[in-house]
Amino acid sequence: MTRDLDAIIRQAQSGDRTAFAGLIDDHYEMMFRFAHKYCGNRPDAEDVTQLACIKVARSLGQFRFEARFTTWLYRLVLNCARDFYKAQHSHEASTWPETAMNDGSEPKVLLHQVLKLVECMGEGFRETLALVIGEGLTHAEAAEVLAVKESTVSWRLHEVRKRLKADVGQIGEYGGGA
Amino acid sequence: MSDRLKQWFAEQDQTPDAQAKSRALDVALNAFDEYHSGDVPKTDKVVTINSEQKKASIDQGLVTSDRPTSDNQPVGRRLMDATLSKIPTTASQRWLYSGLASAAMLVITVSLVMNIGPQVVDDALEGQPSPEQRLAMPDQADHDALAIEADAVTVRAARLDDRQAPELHSPAASRELLRASEERKVAALQQTQELQAIRVPKPVPSLANVHSAGGFSAELADALPQVPGYSEQGRDRFEHAESNPVKRVSQSPVSTFSIDVDTASYSFVRRQLNHGRLPQKDAVRLEEMVNYFPYDYPLPAHPGQPFSTTTTVLDSPWKAGNKLIHIGIKGYQLSAATQPRSNLVLLLDVSGSMNSPDKLPLVKQSMSMLLSRLQPEDTVSIVVYAGAAGIVLEPTQVQDRQTILSALNKLQAGGSTAGGEGIQLAYQLAENHFVKDGVNRIILATDGDFNVGIHNPEQLQGFVERKRQSGIYLSVLGFGQGNYHDQLMQALAQNGNGVAAYIDTVSEAQKVLVDEATSSLFPIASDVKIQVEFNPDSVSEYRLLGYETRMLAEEDFNNDAVDAGDIGAGHTVTALYEITPIGSDSGVYSASRYTQTDPPGANADEYGFLQLRYKLPGESKSRLISQPIQRDQRTEGTLKREADFATAVAGFAQLLQGGKYTGDWGYEDALKMALANRGDDVFGYRSELVQLMRKAEVANDL
Repeated sequence: MTRDLDAIIRQAQSGDRTAFAGLIDDHYEMMFRFAHKYCGNRPDAEDVTQLACIKVARSLGQFRFEARFTTWLYRLVLNCARDFYKAQHSHEASTWPETAMNDGSEPKVLLHQVLKLVECMGEGFRETLALVIGEGLTHAEAAEVLAVKESTVSWRLHEVRKRLKADVGQIGEYGGGA
Repeated sequence: MSDRLKQWFAEQDQTPDAQAKSRALDVALNAFDEYHSGDVPKTDKVVTINSEQKKASIDQGLVTSDRPTSDNQPVGRRLMDATLSKIPTTASQRWLYSGLASAAMLVITVSLVMNIGPQVVDDALEGQPSPEQRLAMPDQADHDALAIEADAVTVRAARLDDRQAPELHSPAASRELLRASEERKVAALQQTQELQAIRVPKPVPSLANVHSAGGFSAELADALPQVPGYSEQGRDRFEHAESNPVKRVSQSPVSTFSIDVDTASYSFVRRQLNHGRLPQKDAVRLEEMVNYFPYDYPLPAHPGQPFSTTTTVLDSPWKAGNKLIHIGIKGYQLSAATQPRSNLVLLLDVSGSMNSPDKLPLVKQSMSMLLSRLQPEDTVSIVVYAGAAGIVLEPTQVQDRQTILSALNKLQAGGSTAGGEGIQLAYQLAENHFVKDGVNRIILATDGDFNVGIHNPEQLQGFVERKRQSGIYLSVLGFGQGNYHDQLMQALAQNGNGVAAYIDTVSEAQKVLVDEATSSLFPIASDVKIQVEFNPDSVSEYRLLGYETRMLAEEDFNNDAVDAGDIGAGHTVTALYEITPIGSDSGVYSASRYTQTDPPGANADEYGFLQLRYKLPGESKSRLISQPIQRDQRTEGTLKREADFATAVAGFAQLLQGGKYTGDWGYEDALKMALANRGDDVFGYRSELVQLMRKAEVANDL
């Protein structure tokens, strides 16, 4: 993390509005990108990012410079995304395929199916996938964001691979490239 | 396989939407301000996964409860009791309200998604255990969870239309069903908005785009004019301008301004009055109201001079003793034979916000009307912009009318508004097909909501200003209301050497694009500036009526680099000064004890000296017209009638602005004066004004 960023964060923490706006401005894209990978569709990602921005406003004071700011942000976006889906789980099922199909682009649909499948595997798999495969974080970095051991990240990814291979039949041509 | 997955991840379009970004930034800044102003108790709690999970389990509890299932617990009653009974501290009251608000919003949103009517919502509210349970223990974690929930709901409410729009398209759904569900949606959305007002003091920007989902087509909007999902209100933006003050001739004898041929203000005022309410004061620009009407001023005496200037002196109707100096300018009319070739680029806003019967459909209609006034060899091209800008129609000759019309009819509204990008593209197209010795003009039709790309007014203005040098004019046609950005429209048209008009009805489109097509399209003189020097021997005070946004510095008059307004073929421009002659006690200033009053000089029979500067199209050096304003320059007949009518309009505009200088003179007097001076009124514009005056009188009494 650079000195400048530290300084900007400190300014924002002390209530400097411009510094805060700059901070959001600089990191919006990164937050959105990650949210998009986790959510798999644009509208949800936009909402999650907006929630995350609000949350940054409220909890920036809690950032202690112990971790990297981006790590902290990943965690925050992730938490917002979880909250977001929990808050609307009653109609999640109807939302997913609809947004996916509307767009019609193939990778999008396939990615949806993968994300959905991974989601069914239990807690932590989807975010691990989004962080490591989607964002290209190392296992150690992902572990830091998720507050789990590095070995857990590796194990989760292994499980995901196993599961996806097993589900070749379910996800069309996906198995071909595996 | 990871590679393949990686590729899929990478192939997603992950460029953030600028609109969503600015929305998020706004909301975050609000939260930031709220946090730092101490509205939200500060907490030392470190956000960890664990605390989040704790919160999440609370969320789960709340959400389960919002399922609209029947519940035997008599919670509703207890909730009511809690509301009515005395609550010990204000702090807990706030928990109660925010709890209620967020719970109710959740219920409403969920019911919306499931298309459940309001009565079910009420039932669901009855069986709401969670918020009330929370009230019992309003601790910190709880408050946080509530706040986050409310935010989530806010965001989701804003998206409801996105979600529902595709359903509306489903072929299975019958028209009846559509209507019913739309109505429910409207009712529920209103509730959501009300609730939202409790939680967020300012309208959340994202709400603004509820209607811009682009879900239903313009045709559907036509079919269902009564249910416009969400309509924006009170977000019209106008620049505030103080009325020109009364000035002492002894201190500042010279008054300089640029002419203004815009008419947007009048149409906007008309729209408001037709809805039975007085317009916002800032929406009233006197000169635009006066110049809305064509006046029967004498035509230019010889063709070498593109326009005629006449001055008339009248008695001020609203202040005995004061005089009005009326300056009328009329441009020469082009005959069809001399009409120059034109290269028109129609730049049309097809963003989601244009999805309303008075916007895109009216734009289409207006543009097809315009075609009727063009020569067969003129070319028209169409550029549209929404989330991105694109060329819909390459330059096409007007004789190929059908191609142009079908391109127009295919347009549909949807998406955000990248107005800046659209303007750039339109200029590019106009430059590529530049017609030398012809008229190259971009006609921008929009509701003014530029929210993507260059949307900083100054930046846009700068761009338009630079492009003006290349000989391409920009005219702006405003449509719709609720979110009309007048200021930006004015700025664009003024800097693009164009006309700004506001089109609210088909007949207004007819006026601007057909009846006055020549003046809207073909400039005959540009950078027209007026300077009046008052004679201190005969005038003690003066005041320019209107033109507040067009004032120039005295030295700018002779500076040809300073931009000013243009006059189109057949245009009439009117300016009025109210003066207090020397010796009259009708002025606002008391007499100065020490200023020496010289014996009247040689020119005491003149009130002042009128000077006009203009450039012929394409020329960069200005020409000068000057003439004295004679004290006894009274006229009878047509000119007097026209001047009186202009005075009535100016008086009416002043009344709408608050009537700072009009004394006891009221709407009734304006009405009488306008009625008496209607003249031929071929197009009925003046009769319409009389009706508007009546409406203003009624609205004023309310």
